[in-house]
Amino acid sequence: MNITPVWAIFIGSIFTNNILFASFLGMCSFLVCSSKIDTALGLGSAVVFVMFCTTMLNYLIYYYLLVPLKLEFLGFMIFIAVIAAFVQFVEMFVERFSPDLYYALGIFLPLITVNCAILGAALFMVIRKYNFVQSTFYGLGAGLGWAMAIALMAGLREKMGYANVPTPLRGTAVIMMVAGVIAMAFMGFAGMLNIQ
Amino acid sequence: MSSSPAVSATPGVGKWKKTLGEGLYTANPITRQILGICSTLAVTNRVDKALVMGAGLIFVTGLSNLFLSLLRKLIPNRIRMIAEMAVVSTFVIVIDQFLRGFYWDISRQLGPYVALIITNCIVMGRAEAFALSNPPLLSLLDGVANATGYALMLAIVGVFRELLGSGSILGITLLSPTWYVKNQLLVLAPGAFFALGLLLCVFNLINPPTAPETKK
Amino acid sequence: MKDNTRIIVFTVVLAVICALLLAGSTIFTAPYRQANEKAEEVRTFLSVLGAPVQGVSDSRELLAMFNREVRVKTLGSLTLYEYLPESGKSDMPAAVAVPFTGMGLWGPIKGVLALQSDLRTIKTINFYQQEETPGLGGEIGADWFRKQFENKQILSADGQAGFRVLKPGGQTGPTEVDGISGATMTSQRVGLMLDNLAKSIAEERNAYVQ
Repeated sequence: MNITPVWAIFIGSIFTNNILFASFLGMCSFLVCSSKIDTALGLGSAVVFVMFCTTMLNYLIYYYLLVPLKLEFLGFMIFIAVIAAFVQFVEMFVERFSPDLYYALGIFLPLITVNCAILGAALFMVIRKYNFVQSTFYGLGAGLGWAMAIALMAGLREKMGYANVPTPLRGTAVIMMVAGVIAMAFMGFAGMLNIQ
Repeated sequence: MSSSPAVSATPGVGKWKKTLGEGLYTANPITRQILGICSTLAVTNRVDKALVMGAGLIFVTGLSNLFLSLLRKLIPNRIRMIAEMAVVSTFVIVIDQFLRGFYWDISRQLGPYVALIITNCIVMGRAEAFALSNPPLLSLLDGVANATGYALMLAIVGVFRELLGSGSILGITLLSPTWYVKNQLLVLAPGAFFALGLLLCVFNLINPPTAPETKK
Repeated sequence: MKDNTRIIVFTVVLAVICALLLAGSTIFTAPYRQANEKAEEVRTFLSVLGAPVQGVSDSRELLAMFNREVRVKTLGSLTLYEYLPESGKSDMPAAVAVPFTGMGLWGPIKGVLALQSDLRTIKTINFYQQEETPGLGGEIGADWFRKQFENKQILSADGQAGFRVLKPGGQTGPTEVDGISGATMTSQRVGLMLDNLAKSIAEERNAYVQ
């Protein structure tokens, strides 16, 4: 039973507990593919959708199937299976009904399955003992927070193309430094909300 | 899914050394391949967490590589990814259960990051890239070598962050609070990013990447 | 068709092997895991009550100690954990622990307050779960912060129930402690939490203290 109010969870998961800047999840898929804001936003929206839906699905399966059967230890496996299956399903659906969207987003979908952030959201939901409504808003918020984070980083990366980055720092090293500064900025959001 | 002609059933010593060297250094998962970043950032604020995570990854990567390599000629192509995920998740759950039973404190500290080994790109990456086209023992070595390379980097960052951030290593205070002002930032989220960035920078200085960095 | 049969056979065999590994590891570790989980809960109470838990890492020992020496009682809306060490002969508890929960800055804060058997003087306090900023709000878990609570009271001399966390730097009375400099909000929330706790304990206190 988690006493945090739903709106606090939602806003918190976007700003104060940003799943990328505070919990470090989703760095890999970000580093590989988003050097432009467009691709970042595309990936981000896909992740928001998948995270929102799978968090709800995983909640239902965990608390209505695994817990009554005392199979909680299978949780990890079931979560990743649900995520993979959901992404597969979305891929087929999008390919069938909107080939344009498929070509735009197609390459992202396999990447999303191994995105730590999505599995991470399900895991945090269980650890923090959120109820269904809390989980739904958490999934949505975490996704939005992640999308915003990578859009920010992609934008900065674009700008850095014009900067004279020292050779040893080129590539991932300077991205890490930038991420660190942004993480510091996000820490400043603490206390923004007045939760009673 | 047959192995390439160059890799015989009993590969020569050279192949073994190459696999070991690549996993540990020349193609180190963190500094060269840039994989497994999420957990590196999360668990390196304390050395004990870093070491346990490293050990866990060695266990999972080694065994899953071995297992998948043994099965490599039998896995139907259509369910390849599913089979990989099933094998990896099984080993991750096993190690998580083990930690909860015998190393409860560390298990609590690591929290969800043990489960996140499932999505750790290193494990799946080595399975796809190596285990499915190489003999079992060599795959085991590859898995262990890569994971050990990862564990080494984790240990280095962990020591850096815990020593300068809390003044201790493994909980033993080395920099006494009487004269050393703890750099708390290193223990927090931003410090993780900075520490990793510094590590990558140092390694780029020691061993500059040969190919030009493309669109990174 | 042969392809499909192969897939099915392979899947079944793989599933069986994985299931065996999983079942094996789960069953093998089950007693240890369950003991650890229960011990986690009781360790906090035992340590705040002053029981000798420092070197004890064996979960079963902890559980045995808890069952032997701690008596759980309900008092109105509160749950009390009375500590009756075997070494002490009297029926009066050496300490009484009261758990509390509240909202911190980043997430819930859970703690346990240990009082003398007069339910008025504080022995010690433990914030066992908090997600505050390490180094700032997180200092509520630090020794220096907790030490302040020793021998403080939840009732003032003239019977007013309450507890306050003040801005550091001034004098603190018997029902007050210093907050954490740089962590005003966490300090305020903790203060509120403890004030409410003090008032609820005071309400039930007369029924308890003979």
